[in-house]
Amino acid sequence: MKPLRLPSARPGLADVAILCLLGGVIATVVAFAREFEAPFAQAVRIDLRPAALPRYTLYSLSRGVLALVISYLFALGFGWAAAKSRAAERLLLPLLDILQSIPVLGFLPGLVLGLMSLFPTRNVGLELAAILMIFTAQAWNLALSFYNSLKALPPQLRDACKVAGWPPGRTFRQLEVPAAAQGLVWNGMLSMAGGWFFLMVNEAFRLGNRDYRLPGIGSYMSVALDQGNLRAAGLAITAMVVMIVCVDQLLWRPLVVWVEKFRLDESGDGGPAPSSWVLEFLRRARLPRGAAVFQRRAYRRARRAARPLERPFRAVGPIILRGPRFAFEHPVPRMVSVGLAIVAVAAAAALGAWRLWLLLAQLGWAEWAKLVSSAALTFARVMGAVILSTAWALPAGVVIGRSPRIARALQPVIQVVASFPAPMLFPLVILLFERISIGLGLGAVALMVLAGQWYILFNVISAVAAIPQQLKDATAAFRLPRWRRWRALYLPAAAPALVMGWVTAAGGAWNGSIVAEYIEAGGALRTTKGLGSLISEATADANFPLLAGGIALMSLIVVGWNRIVWRSLMEWARTRFGYAQ
Amino acid sequence: MTPGTVLLEAQHVTQRFRLPNGQNLEALRDVSLAVREQEVVALVGPSGCGKSTLLRLFAGLARPVEGKVLYRGQSLDGVLGAAAMVFQSFALLPWLTVAENVAMGLEARGVYGPARRDAVARAINLVGLDGFEQAYPKELSGGMKQRVGFARALAVAPEILLMDEPFGALDPLTAENLRSQVVDLWRDPATGVNTLVIVTHSVEEAVFLAGRIVVFGSNPGHVREEMTNPLPYPRQERSPEFEEMVDRLHAILTATLLPEPAPAAPQRLVPFPRVHVSEVTGLLDHLLTRPDGKGPVFELAEDLGVDYDRMSAVVRAAEQLGWVTTPGEIVQLTAAGREVMAMDDAARKDVTRARLAKQPLFARLVAMLKEGEGAVEDEEVLADLTIYFPFIPAESLFATLVEWGRYAELVDHDADAGRLMLLGWEGAAEARVE
Repeated sequence: MKPLRLPSARPGLADVAILCLLGGVIATVVAFAREFEAPFAQAVRIDLRPAALPRYTLYSLSRGVLALVISYLFALGFGWAAAKSRAAERLLLPLLDILQSIPVLGFLPGLVLGLMSLFPTRNVGLELAAILMIFTAQAWNLALSFYNSLKALPPQLRDACKVAGWPPGRTFRQLEVPAAAQGLVWNGMLSMAGGWFFLMVNEAFRLGNRDYRLPGIGSYMSVALDQGNLRAAGLAITAMVVMIVCVDQLLWRPLVVWVEKFRLDESGDGGPAPSSWVLEFLRRARLPRGAAVFQRRAYRRARRAARPLERPFRAVGPIILRGPRFAFEHPVPRMVSVGLAIVAVAAAAALGAWRLWLLLAQLGWAEWAKLVSSAALTFARVMGAVILSTAWALPAGVVIGRSPRIARALQPVIQVVASFPAPMLFPLVILLFERISIGLGLGAVALMVLAGQWYILFNVISAVAAIPQQLKDATAAFRLPRWRRWRALYLPAAAPALVMGWVTAAGGAWNGSIVAEYIEAGGALRTTKGLGSLISEATADANFPLLAGGIALMSLIVVGWNRIVWRSLMEWARTRFGYAQ
Repeated sequence: MTPGTVLLEAQHVTQRFRLPNGQNLEALRDVSLAVREQEVVALVGPSGCGKSTLLRLFAGLARPVEGKVLYRGQSLDGVLGAAAMVFQSFALLPWLTVAENVAMGLEARGVYGPARRDAVARAINLVGLDGFEQAYPKELSGGMKQRVGFARALAVAPEILLMDEPFGALDPLTAENLRSQVVDLWRDPATGVNTLVIVTHSVEEAVFLAGRIVVFGSNPGHVREEMTNPLPYPRQERSPEFEEMVDRLHAILTATLLPEPAPAAPQRLVPFPRVHVSEVTGLLDHLLTRPDGKGPVFELAEDLGVDYDRMSAVVRAAEQLGWVTTPGEIVQLTAAGREVMAMDDAARKDVTRARLAKQPLFARLVAMLKEGEGAVEDEEVLADLTIYFPFIPAESLFATLVEWGRYAELVDHDADAGRLMLLGWEGAAEARVE
């Protein structure tokens, strides 16, 4: 046997970079693990010196990445189950709709109290709670994306794998996940950005009479604002931008380029293939190739070592599997297991509903009246925010999308700006508004615009950019005046995407209301009446019946509005303005 | 080679699907078919006759709702290991190289390591793809991709090769080339393949490849007729015997596609073929250029460059309007057909309107519209169509009705309000204003 050996290679600059990156990752993991198992500290003291900021940034980043990993695992399981079983599909898709509409504060008390009672002495509980709160903002669109990819898979490819005799596990690894890879990466980008939205809430919040704080960039920002330290706040914003740009350049760009390989339709949309200087640079490295060779050799050696075991295992395998096979394939055990599963799901749902009912039953008429009137106010703000966002983002989106040159230049910038968690800016904006004496009642609308506008802009840009060149040529050839050109081509072409943008923008605005109507800045608390401030207050006061009522009302409004208004509007826009003939 | 024992057998197989709109589609009804060792069987018939469904049943990719599929007398349980399949759309995984795609089926059959490498190399060599092992499918042309598809099937040395329109997505030149290679592969004992089942759209292909040709009828799919083809291999496509065989198959298919109208039961609703106005006028135009204004339907299909079941649908539409007759497999322009082609556009529309009003389905539609004071909701018409023609997608039949109705200025359709309106009806104007 030859000894395992790396192929001789001269390490280059790229290899050094890879080693540095690896070292950084390991150092971060170690530091974060230490923070994880540190003795419990309810509200850690935040060091506002600039030198402490990189550490806090890495902590926050680690939480986001861990949450994303969990989100991906969840999405794979959830999407697979929903795509494979019709019964699961009928249960899981509406559930996803509801989960998507619940703002993070709806999960906060349960997660924090539950996990802290599990780990009373260590930081783990609080850390896990923060990570899972980020997860609740990341997971749903990933799951939906994976489900949609599975549903859109050409049936012949499935047949080909079946004819080849692939077991389900292999089909999953080599067909289903690769086919979904593009959607998973693009949605991962969105999820990561969505996960930052409640960063400040996730890391520093008040529950009942207690303050909780974890070391991170979000709590750094909130402490800075509490102390009115604008310099530190500015630094935190800068650090956040740097982190977003780095994650975009080092993680997402290379991934986006790499997953091009897993494109199913070969046509391509004619646009220039995305490129990533990081990936280009790293491809020059020899280390990964050497590692791959090393891994393959090690794998082969392990296989060879395991060969004597293979034959007995192959003989025993069917016998071991006989039990599970019987359970899965024989009709009686199958029916029993399906029945048990249904009973378990029904019991869990009934229990949840009962607990919710118990909470809601504690609310009196006066409180319900307050909830509904606040909801009406916030609803008006959400709609105002959607209208204001449309007013600037629709024309801007058309102008940007019309010219490939501008779109290409601005797209990455807009992406980074859009990933920035708007709530971090809220206190600064409000302080500014106070200078020009605009109250929070109106100011909250502006804040909600900040939270929702990008979805509209993105959707309009991509829809306008996708207009077939021939249609643009036709309007030019017939010399339509500018306004007619907009009315005849650009606005109708953008309509279906605009409605899509409204759905997400309204969702973002509802979410934003929680932090827009209840703001601590410059050491003072400002609130204005609304459902968002009601929910924030209920969390701070640990008034769980009111919190449950507020969250339930909010998701009821969001889901109901989606189902009734947005969906029919979308249907109309698609049939009326879709290209498909 | 003489056929031996029965390898694959379908016994009274019925297969149904539930369409997304709730309609139940019966793809096959009571189909029995045996495939013997050393045989090449071609399944032909109009689209939607269930021939591909039968192939999937043979492969064990689906289970029949009723009846049984047997392999060597044993009921099929799951995917048939003795068979490999070639797909019309190639069905290659774009993220795997040619060699990896070819190796797809080997691990499940317990072929590892050097043996696997050998099997892949041999299969790639058989289809003439040497040198392309490390290429990705997107770098290959359609013909090359299908070679990979064949190599993937041959790599597992299957007893039976199932092919679902394997040349359908290729250009004619490439298809012809691959076709003769398939015969060579089948005759070559080194491949291990001794039985072929091929679903095809092309008459020439069936006659070129198959020893037995099974003709399917549609709505629901069933076996119409079987034809044996004793021509010796390799077959010469230009030989008179070959041409004669092609003509015989044409005749059988014509009888399937353009059945002589049943004499009785005039009340029965016949669906209007789902073809465009321009296709029918195109056919008449083409017939005018021919001596005596006639020609066999397959020749017409070839001349106009459409496949034969599309052609026969166009012919059926023209026949329902009284512009052609179809004695046997000949399509003959009628006097009315000549007249209508000589007219100007407005007169042609008038004649079409008069003819359509007599077509039973349009007559029923007009009656419905009159009953509804000149306007009817789309849903009502769609529901009606679904009841009368459960096997035809109602939306597409509806679209045909609207197109012809609009052309003849008989009916109009308001897509926004979702309703049909009768033109020239006193109430129509008010219905529109409403």
